[in-house]
Amino acid sequence: MDEPSPGGTNIEGESPRVEPTVETEEATITDEAELERTLGLSGGLAIGIGTMIGAGIFVFPGLAAGRAGPAAAASFAIGAAIALLVALPASELATAMPKSGGGYYFISRGLGTLLGAVVGLSLWFGLVFAAAFYLVGFGYYAVDTLAELGVAVGGGLVIPLALLFGAGFTVLNVTGTENAAKLQNGIVALLLSILVVFLAYGGLDAAGLIGEPTAPEQFAPFGAVPVMTTAALVFTSYLGFAQVATVAGEMKDPGRNLPLAMVGSVLIVGVLYVATIFVATSAFGSEQLSRFGETAMVEVGRHYLGAAGAFAIVFGGLLATMSSANASVLSTSRAIYAVSRDALLPRGASRINLRYGTPHVALGMAGGPILVLTATGRVELLAEVASFLHLIMYGLICVALIALRRDEPEWYDPDFRVPGFPVVPALGAVASFALIGFMQPASQLVGVGVMIATAGWYYYYARDVDLKGKL
Amino acid sequence: MTRVLVPLAILEGESVSSGLTTLLESANVTVLGYHELPEQTPPDQARDQYGSRATDALEDLAAEFGVGEGTADYRLVFTHDREQTFDRVAGETGADAYAVPGATGPIDRLLVALTGDVAVERIVSFVAALVADRGIGVTLFLATDDEAAGRELLAASSVRLADRGIDVATELAVDEPPLEALVDAAVGHDAVVMGERAPSLLTLVFGEDAERVAAESVGPVLVVRNGEDDESANVD
Repeated sequence: MDEPSPGGTNIEGESPRVEPTVETEEATITDEAELERTLGLSGGLAIGIGTMIGAGIFVFPGLAAGRAGPAAAASFAIGAAIALLVALPASELATAMPKSGGGYYFISRGLGTLLGAVVGLSLWFGLVFAAAFYLVGFGYYAVDTLAELGVAVGGGLVIPLALLFGAGFTVLNVTGTENAAKLQNGIVALLLSILVVFLAYGGLDAAGLIGEPTAPEQFAPFGAVPVMTTAALVFTSYLGFAQVATVAGEMKDPGRNLPLAMVGSVLIVGVLYVATIFVATSAFGSEQLSRFGETAMVEVGRHYLGAAGAFAIVFGGLLATMSSANASVLSTSRAIYAVSRDALLPRGASRINLRYGTPHVALGMAGGPILVLTATGRVELLAEVASFLHLIMYGLICVALIALRRDEPEWYDPDFRVPGFPVVPALGAVASFALIGFMQPASQLVGVGVMIATAGWYYYYARDVDLKGKL
Repeated sequence: MTRVLVPLAILEGESVSSGLTTLLESANVTVLGYHELPEQTPPDQARDQYGSRATDALEDLAAEFGVGEGTADYRLVFTHDREQTFDRVAGETGADAYAVPGATGPIDRLLVALTGDVAVERIVSFVAALVADRGIGVTLFLATDDEAAGRELLAASSVRLADRGIDVATELAVDEPPLEALVDAAVGHDAVVMGERAPSLLTLVFGEDAERVAAESVGPVLVVRNGEDDESANVD
């Protein structure tokens, strides 16, 4: 098959590296070498769930209940519905283009270089905002852990601890050559076990089957609009499934495993989130939950299972926020590699360290901004900007799917096809863009600012690069 | 002709000794240059940076095995999991054995261990084809708890090799730890041939038997594969 020649060069004269490859279930075969696919379904699910679970369960319940009351459960359900509407189209595109880079890759190939560049670079920043958010959440849990151990250090140490560990993760990712993937799978399995036990017990209690009955609270005390703004806030809890697509090039049997990992992780965490909010708001009034703040779940654990419950949740929260932050640092580095390979960033950004074999430049470009944002400590702003930048990508993924399907190119041959085309992707696009409208003005401003900056970079650096349809 | 897979950590300078190259002259060889990466690094990204350097090194190595004469080929793989890569490539090429390269001079005598989960039949015919008529001596080794049956197996196997004009000796270790006995027996031999063993908890902790034998005996080890999963040979 004749491949189209790589299109154009950037300001430094670098061209996108585009070449013919043969994809099998076990490897990607290029002219020169084979690239082994080593991630199985459980590995993919661990990335998706491990990235998402920290935020939704351990950081948001207090904040969300304070805003929407028990109806925060509905906010999480709305988030899950939107995430599913995007995960399905994203799965189809991922099986048609099982390459590293995920959403950026689909959009640059389906909709052209400008949108691709905006999304690719915004994804970098979106992941940076998300990682900073997870790190601040981690800081709260670290302080609470110390408190549970009898060392009261006060809230002043939240940010310093978050910064310390953020720097630590970055350095470990540059220098650590032990494979942590198995550890990540174990952590996710452990977290799921803790949560299932806790939610089962709390659920029985909350339903009035065991323990003291609690006074029911009005479901949506503040009305419908806060339910939507809360959905916009907590959508950060659903960003992880797109991270699965960033490692699409390393998944075994991508035609089967990618859709299962993306849709499966959204379904699993969605159910857990809704159950968590139900259990939490049954234990305490939403006002009280809100006062407990980022670590409200610790008090919920204490309410149901005493000191052991509090300890299990604190421990789970530490693990979960850590694994979310670490997974995001790794995804950021892959996102940077994807745009740099396409000459939208200097090629140097994807250099690999000779000593450790790790992409130290990209990891540094992830870690540096993450630390700066972590230092702001603005939990809600960080979460919303992360969601904003991801939602733009999600909406465009749906648009890209519709565009590709309307005029299917010869190379387009997905193993998985979205049911309910074109309604599902159309709804996914509309819902993604609409949710942005419910965010705080400050978050919207920062998000738009990032997008304008990335578009500016494209016109300055890479306006002659052409990626549309260049597989 | 038998096919042997020779995996080499190509960017870490792993190489083959002249003795192994000579020993494998009677076989088809697939040189598998691989580079194992930490999970932070996408294989594609590493290929981008190291691909041409690795190909150069691999071409030189493969030339020694006779790429020119058509008895050898080579493949380059970037991977996060080398065991998975070995298994896949061995299956695709239908390799009868893979080599753990070690240091050795000219090979005069092989130690052939009739252990592992591979049929003795398979090991013996592999050795017969490998040695051919080159005057390389063979010591058949077996570690067992059942002395009588062990002697019988060794005798039957040595007859099959002796019939082809190969100089055969036998060595039986009764009630000894098999791996230690094998390493002790390897003294005075230039290379070891053994059967593949299914992974177990011990291999997870201590590493594969073949690699432990290679490390302890310094010389190369040829591991005869369990041929059952080779039906998928040469799938593109």
